[in-house]
Amino acid sequence: MASDSAAPTDLANGSSSVQSPILQAQGLGMRFEAPEGPISLFEGLDFNIDAGDSLAILGTSGSGKSTLLGLLAGLDLPSAGSVIMDRHKLNDLDEDARAVLRAGRVGFVFQSFHLLPGLTALENVMLPAELAGDAQAREHAASALDQVGLTPRRGHYPAQLSGGEQQRVALARAFITAPSILFADEPTGNLDHTTGEQIINLLFDLNRDYGTTLVLVTHDQAVAGRCAHVRYLREGRLMATSE
Amino acid sequence: MMLSLRLLARDWRSGELRLLALAVVIAVAAVTGVSWLADRVAGATEARAADLLAADRAVETTDLIPAEWIERAQSRGLSTAQTAVFPTVVVTDRANRLVSAKAVNDGYPLRGRLRTQPALGAPEQLAAGIPEPGNVWLESRLLGLLGVEVGDRLSLGARQFRISAIISFEPDRGQGFGSLAPRVMLNHADLASTELLGPGSRARHKLLLAGDLAEATAFTRALSAEQGNRIEIETPSEQGRGAAEIIEQAKRFLGLAALLTVIVAGVAVLLTVRHYAERQIMGVAVMRAMGATRRQVLGLFTGKLLWLTLFAGGLGAGLGYLMHWGMLLIVADLLGTSLPAAGWQPLATGWLTAGAALLGFALPTLVRLRNAPPMRVLRADLGGGLLRAGMPLVVAALVVLGLMAWQAGDVRVTLSVFVAVGATLALLAVVAAGVVYGARAYSRQAGQARLLWLSGFTRRPLTAVIQIVAVGVGLMSLFLLAVVRNDLLSAWQAEIPPDAPNQFLINIQPDEVDGVRETLAAAGVETQFYPMVRARLTALNGEPIAADDYDSPQARRLTRREFNLSWTGTLAPDNEIVSGDWWGDQANPRPQLSLETDFAQEIGVAMGDRLTFASGGSEVSAEVTSLRSVRWESFNVNFFVLASPGTFNDLPQTWLTSFYLPDDETAVLNTLIREFPSVTPIDVSSVLRIVRTIIDQGSRVVELMSLLTLAAGVLVLLAALQITGEDRRFESALLRALGARGRRIRAMARLEFWLVGAIAGALAGLAATAAGMVVAEALFNLDYPFRPLTIVAGAGVGLLTVWLAGALGARRYYRASPMRLLREG
Repeated sequence: MASDSAAPTDLANGSSSVQSPILQAQGLGMRFEAPEGPISLFEGLDFNIDAGDSLAILGTSGSGKSTLLGLLAGLDLPSAGSVIMDRHKLNDLDEDARAVLRAGRVGFVFQSFHLLPGLTALENVMLPAELAGDAQAREHAASALDQVGLTPRRGHYPAQLSGGEQQRVALARAFITAPSILFADEPTGNLDHTTGEQIINLLFDLNRDYGTTLVLVTHDQAVAGRCAHVRYLREGRLMATSE
Repeated sequence: MMLSLRLLARDWRSGELRLLALAVVIAVAAVTGVSWLADRVAGATEARAADLLAADRAVETTDLIPAEWIERAQSRGLSTAQTAVFPTVVVTDRANRLVSAKAVNDGYPLRGRLRTQPALGAPEQLAAGIPEPGNVWLESRLLGLLGVEVGDRLSLGARQFRISAIISFEPDRGQGFGSLAPRVMLNHADLASTELLGPGSRARHKLLLAGDLAEATAFTRALSAEQGNRIEIETPSEQGRGAAEIIEQAKRFLGLAALLTVIVAGVAVLLTVRHYAERQIMGVAVMRAMGATRRQVLGLFTGKLLWLTLFAGGLGAGLGYLMHWGMLLIVADLLGTSLPAAGWQPLATGWLTAGAALLGFALPTLVRLRNAPPMRVLRADLGGGLLRAGMPLVVAALVVLGLMAWQAGDVRVTLSVFVAVGATLALLAVVAAGVVYGARAYSRQAGQARLLWLSGFTRRPLTAVIQIVAVGVGLMSLFLLAVVRNDLLSAWQAEIPPDAPNQFLINIQPDEVDGVRETLAAAGVETQFYPMVRARLTALNGEPIAADDYDSPQARRLTRREFNLSWTGTLAPDNEIVSGDWWGDQANPRPQLSLETDFAQEIGVAMGDRLTFASGGSEVSAEVTSLRSVRWESFNVNFFVLASPGTFNDLPQTWLTSFYLPDDETAVLNTLIREFPSVTPIDVSSVLRIVRTIIDQGSRVVELMSLLTLAAGVLVLLAALQITGEDRRFESALLRALGARGRRIRAMARLEFWLVGAIAGALAGLAATAAGMVVAEALFNLDYPFRPLTIVAGAGVGLLTVWLAGALGARRYYRASPMRLLREG
C-alpha cells in the first residue's frame, strides 16, 4: 500500500482518523540547494500518527529518513508542507517556540547516544528535567536510571560506560520527562546484535509503560518489525513495502 | 542561575574550565595586586595630607621669619609656630653624619602630633612638647649610625647638645620617598648659638599658621602681595601633590604592566573558550532538541561565566592580596611610615577585571552556541561555521582598549600603549611565523629532517606561532627588567671615571673659601671652587612665572623651588656651547646667561629671552646668550644656569667644591667640619648606593608582575596543548600502531617544545636587548653593549620553561596505550 494517497493516511486504521492525531505530516517535502542544482529529498508526504502508536521508517543511507525524523520533531522546518504536533502547526512557530513545544513533550534516542562527556550518567539523565525546572530532578533521574538497570553505574562518565550502557542512559534521559512522543534515530546502529536487542526490548518496554508515541528510524528490519507500522522511504516517497 | 552553577561545577570537575579559570585568576591577581599596592601607598599619602604641613597654611622663605609677620598673624587670631630646616653634620666622639636638622619653637606642630620614644625599643608616646633648650631629639636610625644612645652628647655646629628622646613620627617629615638624611630636632631658641646659619645657607624657614581658614588665607594673600616671589605659601593639598604625582604615575605604569598580563591571559581565555565551545556544540544541540530555548542556552552560559567571574575574581583577588604584601615587603624601607589598612575596593576591581575578561574574551564565543542547530543531533555536519573567530577577536580588542583607558585614564596614553602593544605582538608574530613557516618549508624537502617534519611544530604552524608569541611576551617583560636593568646600571657605572668626585662640600661662606682650600691642600687635595647662588626664577621676559603654567611635573618642580646658579669665565671641558656665543673671550661682559639645553627646553626658554631671578630680597635680570650641552655623567659640579661674572654680585652667595677622596682618607672631612661648622659635606657614593637601592626595589616589584605575565604565557602554551590534545592523542596512537616507539614519539614532542621555547626566548632576548639599547642611547646617552649572550640565555630560559610546562601538560597525551587512545576516540 502506497502511503502518499491524496487524503492523509491514518497509520492506525488506514482511514481518516476520527480522534485528533498527535503528529500529522501534510504535503511534507524537503529540498536542498546543491552546487549541481536543487535536490529533492522527498516531497508530498502525508500521514498521521495517533497517540500511543508506533511507526518505523526504514530506508537506506542517504534516503532522507533522519531528515524526516528531524522535521517531525520540529528540529528543522520543511521546504514544503507542514507538520502538526499536538495540534500546533510547527511552520507557524519560530525555533524557540518549537523548542518550548518540545520541552517535556518530546524525547530523543540517538544512534551515537549524544551523552555529554563531562557529566556522569546520573547528571546526563537529570539534564532535561533540570532544563524543565524540575526541583526533584535528581530523584527522578535516579529512578529512571533504576528502570534501565544502571543504578550501580550512576556515577560513571560516558567514557567509562560501554555502548549498550550509554544507550541505556540515553533511554533513561529520554523517558525522565515522560514525553508523549519519542523519536529514535537508529538506536541500535552503534551496538552489536545482542546488545541492540536488549536495548530495543527496553525501549519498547518503556514505550509501553509510559504510553509514549514512538517514531523510529532504522535500517534494521527486525527492529522495525517491533513497531505497529512500518514504512519505507525510497526515492522521496513513503511506501508500505520495501519493493 | 542555580542550574548554571551546577553545570559549572560539573564542567569544573571534568577539567573543562580549569585553564580558563586559571587564566582569569592570574589576570585578576596582577590587576588587584597593583591596585592594593597603589591604594595603600596613595592612602598613606592622603591620610597624611592634612598633617603633612603640620599646619593649615605655611609661609616659606629662605630668611629668618620677621617678628612682625608673627605679630600680624597672631593679631588675626591665628596660632603660629616657626621651623627652620637645613642640612648639616652632627659630630660625636666616634662618628659624624650628614643630617637634616630642624629647629622648632613652642606650638609646633600646629596640626598632627609628634611621637617619641624615651629609648630604643621603648613604647611610642605622644610628645608633650618640643625639645628643651640644650636638648635634641633624633630619628632612631641616627642613633645606630652614630653609635650613641639617649643621654649621650653630640655637637651641632658650635654647640653641644644632649640627646633626650627618639623621634618615631614627625607629621611634616616630608614626602615618602625623599628626605634621605636622618632628622635631628632642636629648639628654635638654640638655633643662633649653633652658628650654622650664615647668609646664603640652605636653611628653609617656615611660619606655620593654624586657625580660621579664611583669616589664614587673608593673611597669606596679604603677605604674598607684599613679598611676591620671596615667599612661598604652602597648603596641605600642594604639600601632597609631589608625592601624589609620583604615586599616580607609578600606579599608571604598574596598572598598564598588569594589563599586559591581562592581555596574555586573555589569549589563553580566547583559546580555551573556543576549545570549550567546540566541545559544547553537540551538548547544546541535544539540549535544544530536548526543548531548551536559545534564551535558556544563553542564560546558562552567561550564568556559568558570572559564577566563574565570582569565583575566579575572588580567588585572583586573594592571590593579588598576597602579591601586594610581597611588593610592600620589597619596598618597605622606601615607604617607612605605617600604611592604612587594605580596603575592599581592589576586590571590586578584581571582579570587574574577571568580568571584563570573561564577558569580553569568552562570552562572544559562547553566545554563538545558542544558535547551535538542534538538527545537529541527527546530522553531525551541521553547525560547522558556528564559531567563526572574527567577532570575538574584535570584541576582545575593544575590551583591551577599554581596560587600558580605565588604567591609564588618558586617551593619548591609552592609544599609544594600545598601538605599542599591538605592534610588539604583531612584530613577534611576524618573526615567529617566518621561523615556523621557514622550518616547515625546509622539513618538506624530501629526506630532510624527518623528526621535524613529523613534529607538531611544522604541522600545526599557527598554534606554534601563538605559543611563541605568548611565551615570548612573558619572557620579554621579564628580561627587559632583569637583564637590561643590570646592564644599564653597569653601563652607567662604567661611565663614571674612577677618580670622579665622590665628595661635595657645599655652604662654604665666601670668607671661608681660602681656609677650606688650605685645609684640603694640606691633605693633598687640590680642587676648584665654584660660587653658587640660590634663587627663584620669577619672571620670563618681564612676565611673572607660575609653576601651574607648566604641564610637565619636572618643569613645575623647577619653577616652584629655588635652584642653584653660578658664574664663571671659563667653560668646563664637559660643557659645550651648542648655540650662541660664550662670553669667556670678552674682557668685561655685560650680565648674560648660558642655559643647559634640556633645562631651557623644559621651561620653554629660547635664546634672547630675559630671565629674572630673586633671592634674599634682591632681583637680577639677564639675557640668555648661549645654550650649553652638559655631560652630567662626569659627576663634576655643573649648573643649569651659568651667568657671566658679576651678574649675580648682588645676590647672597656661597661656594662649593667637589673632589675625589679615597675611602680611607676621610679624616680630613672631620677636620673641616670642626673648623668650618657651617660647611656641609655630601658623600655622593652613599647617595649612589641609595639610588641603586630605589631602582633595584622598584624594578623587583615590576619583575614580580612580569612573572605573572610569564605565567599567563605558559597558560597560553597549555591552552594550545589542550586544543591540540585530541590530535596529539590520535597521532601518538596511530604512530604507535604503525610501529613507532614511545621514545621516538616523545622525542618529537620534545623537539616541538624545544623549538617553541628557544625561539620565544631568543626573540624575547633580542627584543629586550634592542629595547635596552634604545633606552640607553636615546634616554641616558650611555654606550650600551650589544650582548649576543642575552639572546642565547633567553633562548635557554625559554627552552627550559616551555619544555617543563609542555612536558607536564602533554604527558597524558603520549603516555596512554594505543588501544586505550583508540577506544577513547
